[in-house]
Amino acid sequence: MAKAEKKGTVTSLASLFPPDEARKASQRVLDTLVEHERELHQLNQFVSDNNNVIDLVQRLPEQLHHDIMVPFGKAAFFPGRIIHTNEFKVLLGENYYVDRTSKQTTEILKRRGNTLQSQVDSIKAVMQDLKAEASFFDATASEAAEGLVEIREDYIEEASSETVSHADMKTADEDEEYARLFSRMDELEKEELEAENGDECESEDGDVKDLGNQVSLDNRVKNLEVLFNFLEQDLSYQLNERSTSFMCSHEASKVQPASKVLPRTSGPHNTHTAMSKPSISDKEQRIQLQTTPTNEAFTGSIVEHTHNTDSNLRGQSNSSKKTVSRFKMQRMQH
Amino acid sequence: MDAYTQEKIQRFEEFVDLRLKPDLVHAIAERDKVFDQQKTFSDLKRNIENLEKNSVTSLRTLVNLGSEVYAQADVPDTRHIFVDVGLGFHVQFTWSEALSYISVREEKLARQMEEYTRLIASIKAQIKMVCEGIRELLQIPAE
Repeated sequence: MAKAEKKGTVTSLASLFPPDEARKASQRVLDTLVEHERELHQLNQFVSDNNNVIDLVQRLPEQLHHDIMVPFGKAAFFPGRIIHTNEFKVLLGENYYVDRTSKQTTEILKRRGNTLQSQVDSIKAVMQDLKAEASFFDATASEAAEGLVEIREDYIEEASSETVSHADMKTADEDEEYARLFSRMDELEKEELEAENGDECESEDGDVKDLGNQVSLDNRVKNLEVLFNFLEQDLSYQLNERSTSFMCSHEASKVQPASKVLPRTSGPHNTHTAMSKPSISDKEQRIQLQTTPTNEAFTGSIVEHTHNTDSNLRGQSNSSKKTVSRFKMQRMQH
Repeated sequence: MDAYTQEKIQRFEEFVDLRLKPDLVHAIAERDKVFDQQKTFSDLKRNIENLEKNSVTSLRTLVNLGSEVYAQADVPDTRHIFVDVGLGFHVQFTWSEALSYISVREEKLARQMEEYTRLIASIKAQIKMVCEGIRELLQIPAE
């Protein structure tokens, strides 16, 4: 138990982001969104006003004078007429007015219209951002309400460079695995070259050395097989360890076995996730661990042993249901 | 403090925040509107008096077309003026008629103003009273 606690932590998302708080946050974002909407509405009104004025200014010079009611303060007006219909005074700001013709006024107003339009565009972009933010908060709130948990485990260098992930592993993880696979292959090839040069090698190079005289393509195939076996053993070894630690941490945090898990990787942390509680008991796994000849992956006799271990592992992984990586599933089908 | 008192305090606070304060804001807005109208009519009165004093019969002015664009306008006869009497009706007055109407209107606006001022004062008093009630329930000594 103590060991498991050292290995990783299980935090429920609800404790990090309480659903109520997340909902409040989303509500706040929605409030600002409404504010922006109002602003946008006002801007749109300005745009339509501006267009109306442009239209009016363009039409006025068509006649010499127009009969209108001339406003006299807010509450009164006189009957009168507009004269000098091609002369306008336009406010430039700071109480400066300029005399312009109809055409010049139209140009000024069009430039103003462009400024307004750019403002409308920027406010629309801001609103789009806010909408995305609100939906994110909503998603977080619902996830927290569902009882999602985050499992976090410190990355330990000497344990292994492999990460074991469960069935719904992301493709990114898969890519990583393949990258590791190929780097391992390169390593083996290098060793193979050394073997060809007549150097004495230990561990799995013994196998490689035997094949040294064969065609390089054949070697590659063999090497791949060795590599796969090695990886499989490595993975299953970790699988055992992890699943026990999972069980412990699951029990410790009293998380329901059906709860989903959010994969999250950050910094030096190595996160892996599990869907369900493994059904194998702690003791059983310890025993199997002891019987699993992990070290023999490095010896020449690896090919004979792997079948045993493979079937052994297969039975075990069947019993522990979902704790097999997709990579291994593929391998098993071949 | 028992749950009953707590609930009572909460209800008092809700009453202040959700009822009295919005009422106060609304009343103040209404009074501002009346104040604006008062200003409009006093301006109009001054302007008409100016016209009378200078015996202006024709006028040249600028009309706002919107977006701060002005056009020149000519008024050939200023002796008749249309004044807004409310509900979208405008009545054609001579200067003296307009002035007498404006004085009546101003009187009415002043009355409205006073009414709103009294309303605002009473809402403020109510808020104060409820706050005092909450203070008593919490048994905090008065300042």
